[in-house]
Amino acid sequence: MKIIACYSNKGGVGKTATSVNLAYAYAQAGQQVLLCDLDPQGAAGFYFRVKPSKKLTDARFFEDVQRFVKAIRASDFEGLDVLPANLSFRDFDVFLSRMRNKRSRLKKALVAAGSDYDVIILDCPPNFSTLSENIFKVADEIVVPVIPTTLSERTFDQLVSFFDEHKLRKKKLRAFFSMVQKRKVLHQETMKSMRKLYPKRFLQTTVPFASDIEKMGQHRAPVSTYAGRSTACAAYRTLFDELEDGVVKTQ
Amino acid sequence: MMTEPSGDQFVLIKPIDATKLAKALAGFSVEIAPEVAAKPFVLLDCHDQSLRASGRVLIETNGVLQLWQNKRKPLSQRGKGLGLFVQNLPHGPVQVALKGFPELRALIQIGAGKIAVKSLVVLDELQKTQVRGTIWFMTSSTGQAAIVRIQKLRGYERAYQKVCDAISDLPSGALGTEAFFAGLFPGMFTYQAKPEIRLGQTEPSIEVAADIIQTYLKVARQNEDGVIADIDTEFLHDYRVSLRKIRSVVSLFKGVFSQTQTAELKRVFSELMAPTGRMRDLDVYLLDKDMYFNLVPSKLHAGLHEMFDRFQKERMQEMSRLSRRLRGDAYDTSMSELIALFSETTRLEAGPNADRGASEYACALIWKRYRKVCRTARSITDDTPDETVHDLRIDCKKLRYLMEFFGPLFDAKSFRTIIRPLKKLQDNLGLFNDYSVQQEALLAFVSQQSNAQGRVDAQVGLAVGGLIAVLDQRQKAERSRVISSFQQFDRLETRHLFRSLFHQKEE
Repeated sequence: MKIIACYSNKGGVGKTATSVNLAYAYAQAGQQVLLCDLDPQGAAGFYFRVKPSKKLTDARFFEDVQRFVKAIRASDFEGLDVLPANLSFRDFDVFLSRMRNKRSRLKKALVAAGSDYDVIILDCPPNFSTLSENIFKVADEIVVPVIPTTLSERTFDQLVSFFDEHKLRKKKLRAFFSMVQKRKVLHQETMKSMRKLYPKRFLQTTVPFASDIEKMGQHRAPVSTYAGRSTACAAYRTLFDELEDGVVKTQ
Repeated sequence: MMTEPSGDQFVLIKPIDATKLAKALAGFSVEIAPEVAAKPFVLLDCHDQSLRASGRVLIETNGVLQLWQNKRKPLSQRGKGLGLFVQNLPHGPVQVALKGFPELRALIQIGAGKIAVKSLVVLDELQKTQVRGTIWFMTSSTGQAAIVRIQKLRGYERAYQKVCDAISDLPSGALGTEAFFAGLFPGMFTYQAKPEIRLGQTEPSIEVAADIIQTYLKVARQNEDGVIADIDTEFLHDYRVSLRKIRSVVSLFKGVFSQTQTAELKRVFSELMAPTGRMRDLDVYLLDKDMYFNLVPSKLHAGLHEMFDRFQKERMQEMSRLSRRLRGDAYDTSMSELIALFSETTRLEAGPNADRGASEYACALIWKRYRKVCRTARSITDDTPDETVHDLRIDCKKLRYLMEFFGPLFDAKSFRTIIRPLKKLQDNLGLFNDYSVQQEALLAFVSQQSNAQGRVDAQVGLAVGGLIAVLDQRQKAERSRVISSFQQFDRLETRHLFRSLFHQKEE
């Protein structure tokens, strides 16, 4: 099982759009996917029309396997389930490591319920906290959308420093440029300088600034379900390819 | 989308109406996607619809067999089924599930139509899918039906339960295999080898006889096409059983018809049966082929192969003769005339017993026959000649026929109690007779195959000799069991039951 965290310490960078579209891409590739909406704003659930669960604010939640299993909702798409927001995250890292452990009660309960997930995608809240630190430890890959602007450059520097200070494995950081506007000179120059500064941290794929992505809020569905031929759709598919195979097949 | 293993229901129903379903599901909207191109299907079952009787629906579409059953997961496999026996279907889940289906019955087309698959979704106010499903719409030239699959989605168990409840709350007669058949093939005729015949306690005996004869003439006619098409051997078997029942009514209901008409009817029905006798014998030999090969050592198999090849050839000749006869106008006319003759009693010549009330007449006949069976059986010792045992067999058979004809007039439970040991006795006597008849038939076969000097092919001679030796041993073994089988039948309890059912007068 693979855990992919979508994280950014800055808001409004297209993080939830990335989680949703990546989750959909993994499911389309035949994997069993669980998308966990850890962002209190609950946008990932919103995009799948899944209502947030009211019952799951209890701090002891992660000790209660049955309640956890019950909170999972099927999306409208084959192989893709959603764990809605409104969770309490105190023991989230415990929960994640339990999901990895084949003999844990949590894992057994999931398997019994027919959900032996291949991929777990975490839509993380945009801050530094115990939760984010725990996620950095437990995730296999941390996908970080970065808008190529000066401000984003600073927040990315902070993230890398955080990894250094806490002796976390920087190899996990898989940043990519998000909401890219090719005609903007600033975007072009920032991308160039950041790739130079962090040659191993950035993926080749870039996701453009596109109205099709903004429209996700209207359609409440992944981009490729309503704009299958758009450049935005192609960009997320490429992001998936690069994350999975290390190579860019399209784009 | 993830479904729980148990969250998958399949229901056979009359056509489903989306608007009605939506009405039953307040707060949800129901969408049924437009159909993809409909494919032709063939509904398979055997002549007596054993599959339907067991609640199953077997269809063939584009070389794929699908087996449906209400509330069960459907099974499918590649392969064709039309005209095949279940044991000869290609191996697969459908074939495995059909184990226990009559081995002597071939699958025939009992209906056809078109099948279209549509998707069903139940949405909440956010247009989020809460329940997913599939509908297989089936149409025939006379009606329509559907099979609905409802899938539970993780986290939406309540909506799933609501949809299941809404479907099971559909008006009665809308759910299940019979509703499915009633919708798709309304008024479809179901063949019954033993139709229920209603008798009145005081109904004149001549009417009882006419009812039974009329019923079985129709049963016989329903088997003609199957015999002609040579679909399976059960058609001819049922055909013969029907005619034999009729002949028994004619001969056992003494004094119901005039003497001349009785004699005439006996002749007519014997003539109807005669051309089928050899064919049935050959069918039985061929069906028992493996059994015969197992009876003798493989050293003698060469002769058996030879013998069965000849049986096969002879069967082909008999088959073409019989089917020509059944297709002929003369045969058709005589059957139609017989049905007309027995459709009302006015054209029948009444004998002295014609007006006796059914119940009273039945008691007299059964009691008399029962006493005869007991008399003969009690006289049998180990030294009694085989002839007497044969007589006992025939009397038992007559007793059984009488009890079956008049069965509807008597208490079903008591009847079962006395028929069970009678059946055992009959099985025993039947085997005794079969082994004896088979030996005679084998001897006849050899003499027919021998040349002018009475010599026969050595291989055939060896094989037949071996068989006769084994069959004779078996016949002797059955013979030795007759006395004890009768004792099982002749218990005090059975005697009391016979007396109370058929001989209530104090002696």
